[in-house]
Amino acid sequence: MDGLFEARKVARYLFAAAGLGGLVGCGDFQKSIDVPLPQYDNQLVVECYLENGAAPRLSVTESVPYLDNGQAVAAGSQILALPDGQSVQLPTDVTVNLTLPGGRVVNLPFRPGLDAATGKYYTHSGTAAVAAAAGQQFALDVQDRRGRHVVGTAVVPTFIPIDSVKYKFNTATDRKAYFMTKWTDPAATTDFYRLMLHKGKPANNSETDNDIRDRLFNGLPYAQVTRYRFNPNDTITATLYHVDSLYFAFRQSVRDARNANGNPFSQPSSIHSTVQGGVGVFTVLVKDQKTLILK
Amino acid sequence: MSQALALRNSIIFSVLFALLPGLSWAQARYLLSGVVRDAQGAALPGASVAVPALALGTATEADGSYKLTLPAGPQQVVVSFVGYASQTLDVKLTRNQKQNFTLTTNQNELGEVVIQGQQSLKEKLQTTQMGVEHLSIREAKLLPALFGEVDILKTLQLKPGVQSGGEGTSGLFVRGGSSDQNLVLLDNALVYNPNHLFGLFSVFNSDAVQSVDLYKAGFPAQFGGRLSSVVDVKLREGDRQKYVVSGGIGLISSRLSFEGPINKGRGSFIVSGRRTYFDVFTRALNRANAGKEDYSPIPDYYFYDFNAKANYKLGEKDNLYLTGYLGRDIFGFTSPNGFNSNFAWGNTLGVLRWQHTFSPRLTANTSVAATNYKYQLSNGVDQFSFELGSTIQDYTGRTDFSYVPNDRHTIQFGALVTHHNFGVGRLQRSSQDGSVNFGADVNYTGQEGGIYASDNFKASDKLQIEGGLRLSGFRSGSDTYGGIEPRASARYALSDKISLKGSYALMYQYVHLVSNSGASLPTDIWYPSRLSVRPERSQQVSTGVSFLLGGGKFLLTDEVYYKWAKNVIDFRDGAQIFANDNLDGEFLFGRGWSYGNELYLEKKEGKTTGWVGYTLAWTKRNFPPQLGTAGINGGRDFFPNYDRRHNLTAVVLHKLNARIDLTASFVYTSGAPTTLPQGRFAIQDIYQGGVQAVPIYPDRNSYRLIPYHRLDLGMVYKLHPSRIGGGRDLTFSIYNAYNRRNAYFIYFEQTRDKATDKVTGYRARQVSLFPIIPSVTYNFRF
Repeated sequence: MDGLFEARKVARYLFAAAGLGGLVGCGDFQKSIDVPLPQYDNQLVVECYLENGAAPRLSVTESVPYLDNGQAVAAGSQILALPDGQSVQLPTDVTVNLTLPGGRVVNLPFRPGLDAATGKYYTHSGTAAVAAAAGQQFALDVQDRRGRHVVGTAVVPTFIPIDSVKYKFNTATDRKAYFMTKWTDPAATTDFYRLMLHKGKPANNSETDNDIRDRLFNGLPYAQVTRYRFNPNDTITATLYHVDSLYFAFRQSVRDARNANGNPFSQPSSIHSTVQGGVGVFTVLVKDQKTLILK
Repeated sequence: MSQALALRNSIIFSVLFALLPGLSWAQARYLLSGVVRDAQGAALPGASVAVPALALGTATEADGSYKLTLPAGPQQVVVSFVGYASQTLDVKLTRNQKQNFTLTTNQNELGEVVIQGQQSLKEKLQTTQMGVEHLSIREAKLLPALFGEVDILKTLQLKPGVQSGGEGTSGLFVRGGSSDQNLVLLDNALVYNPNHLFGLFSVFNSDAVQSVDLYKAGFPAQFGGRLSSVVDVKLREGDRQKYVVSGGIGLISSRLSFEGPINKGRGSFIVSGRRTYFDVFTRALNRANAGKEDYSPIPDYYFYDFNAKANYKLGEKDNLYLTGYLGRDIFGFTSPNGFNSNFAWGNTLGVLRWQHTFSPRLTANTSVAATNYKYQLSNGVDQFSFELGSTIQDYTGRTDFSYVPNDRHTIQFGALVTHHNFGVGRLQRSSQDGSVNFGADVNYTGQEGGIYASDNFKASDKLQIEGGLRLSGFRSGSDTYGGIEPRASARYALSDKISLKGSYALMYQYVHLVSNSGASLPTDIWYPSRLSVRPERSQQVSTGVSFLLGGGKFLLTDEVYYKWAKNVIDFRDGAQIFANDNLDGEFLFGRGWSYGNELYLEKKEGKTTGWVGYTLAWTKRNFPPQLGTAGINGGRDFFPNYDRRHNLTAVVLHKLNARIDLTASFVYTSGAPTTLPQGRFAIQDIYQGGVQAVPIYPDRNSYRLIPYHRLDLGMVYKLHPSRIGGGRDLTFSIYNAYNRRNAYFIYFEQTRDKATDKVTGYRARQVSLFPIIPSVTYNFRF
């Protein structure tokens, strides 16, 4: 659906086809350089996904100068070294409050940990599961002792079921299947979706990850089809999230910003956070899942 | 066009024509007119036709024609052109008279570089037209070229005030204008996308092109519709004497042309074709690596283009010209497991022009033209298909008159009307079983019109003024726009070696390029002025002084300009430009301005010719907060990525002997503005797939790449004639002769430990595109 993405992909192919791509990216055609970046003030970064029936957990980290290799740690923050060698800067003086739809404010204390189920790090968490019904609103308040204050609200989207999933193998010697996920878009609203396909348990890297808006199929059944990419006996799980426009815009801006680093054809995007006062996302996830074993 | 506009038109034209000179003239004077051609019958634009005794003269037009009003009686007319033997003719004028000239190559001046189609420096000094560059294909063919592909648009980038869009690309950014603000014409038909392969090559085949004129300022009133420049490309007419086959075999493409007379020289024709052969190599590479697990097949890519032109003399007063162009870039990919993708884009155009001479003083050119640009992308998997495309079609009728009442006035007037069909976006996703079927097809129409009149008035030997008015209008749906576009230029000769010049031009642009990439992509879309999208408008004032130095061998010109524009278009972050029926909601509107000084020293005669140009310039844009966005850079001024503070170009052509031409060109420009991330943050996403670094970008274009410089060397070696006659040569080029690693772009990446693959830090990397690239092209003509 993302035609621009398609075009850029084609652009890269064409450069390769012209024999010019080979000139880029090899040997002397790249070199490390010193780039004197201007002063950058670290910002609070919030990543919080609420789900109905799950205890709230979120991470509050800090953005850093791009070329920083751990030198920019301020008092009140510490470095979290990840197994892959990356490091993340954690502010340890942050207070987080979550306002539930009924107005009750729940404090989520600083309690860093690793979620065994998802493999995700979190810094603040609650103990009681949240109840989230479509249309209800949550609010998040994140504040440190250095004057940085992030706030955000999120409305629970409606549940959109997956109508069907199916696959089909090609007839080539290298047997591969495409996978199709179908659902029906409601006509009364402008809707946004995120569709992920996972091989095996949906906790690892997704096979495909698409952000879709209903501009061209409002009120109609819609099917998202992959290319031939799956093998016999793969277990494929389709996860369809019905998301709000803010989360969709955040995802799009993150993708555009990442694509622009290294793509001279791309116009960089600023990050469209769903929160104010910092960077990041606060949203409520509503999903449907279906699994098929490809035989 | 509104009633008010129509009324305004009639008033302006009444005033304008009331001011036209009377037809009576105290002394009996007659018009001498005709065409200057070379020995093959090809028109020679820019040749000098002069009467030295009266200090009167003119230069021939693009079709080789001239008009000169002279006193009755005997006159000695001298026709000259660089590289050709001058001709002197005594005429006795007792009435309006027609006189054609045929010039032959000056065999006695082997030491002189032949540059066809060049105005002499003296004529350039004397003309009122400012900011114009005339370039012949012969000159472009001598200069070194990337991959040996002669490209007349890239040669124009060597002129002051013109920037390229990036390494190796043929896009033109003229005096702070963007690449879509150039009116690119091929024999008067509009070319919407003058590029192959993202601008690495232009669509103009060097075998078919005669010359190009680039107007940077003081735009003549017959041109309109774009803000920043006019690129007027003329095709060759073909040999009127004999049939000729010519062509070339190069590193990446081959060319073949066939030309000759029609009906014993009453007309002539030329057809010319070109095709690249990347795909031949990539297919061979794919075959050689077929079956290897870690090998990804390279998609097919090639481009081709055809040019054709014919002219025919219907009678003493009527000539007919027919021009056609067809070009396509083709990309195709079929994966072994059944996925296929095809992508094709290109221009098609045709022009039929009728030239009628009412009298020696009044001629008319009337033409009808159709032009089309389209792209189509299609993917398929099993029964599912996806198609994306866009088109723009124009149908234009225009008529242009040239009237020379006496030797002090040259009046031009005319009108044109264009019907545009905008296929802004067509997207279709479907399946054979009907389970998937949706799409969008966003189409608009527009009508564009213009009428104009101008007078080049020779007030005295010292003062020459050209004034013009163009009235333009545009309608799309219920939205109608229009405007008055005054044009003026003047030349005052302080002496026969020094001229002062000034000009002013106002331009409207009603059709806009929708592109949110830094480069020219084939998927860029043209969009009409409608709803919130107002016409773009620019104004430019420029002034300059020219000195003829070294006994007429050198011309030194210094021009200063200031240009300002409003309703300039850009996009908000994350704009959706494909198949969007609310596309105008994605635009941001702002203003732009640029100013600079261009210093230009040129030499056109002798064994060694060439030029040196230096431009000091600033280009800025401002997009204030609007439509719920912060605008661009929060409404602060910024430099677009084609802003360059300094630009130095030097071109040298040296004729070593009768068989060898040596050439060199050097370019230095300040670093291009670019946007680099300032900060980064980590994101885990819904599922833990590894923490990813996301860049945080500061203001747009707040960083500059390192300065760009490059030296190209070339040599044309004429081989001995073959047994079947004709000429052959080998053209050698060395692009980037000292192998400078110019910065194409910069990106940031993680560094990793080779043994453990663990992230160890972050660093900036600079990528270069082209190293030293030698090439050789074999050209033939028989």
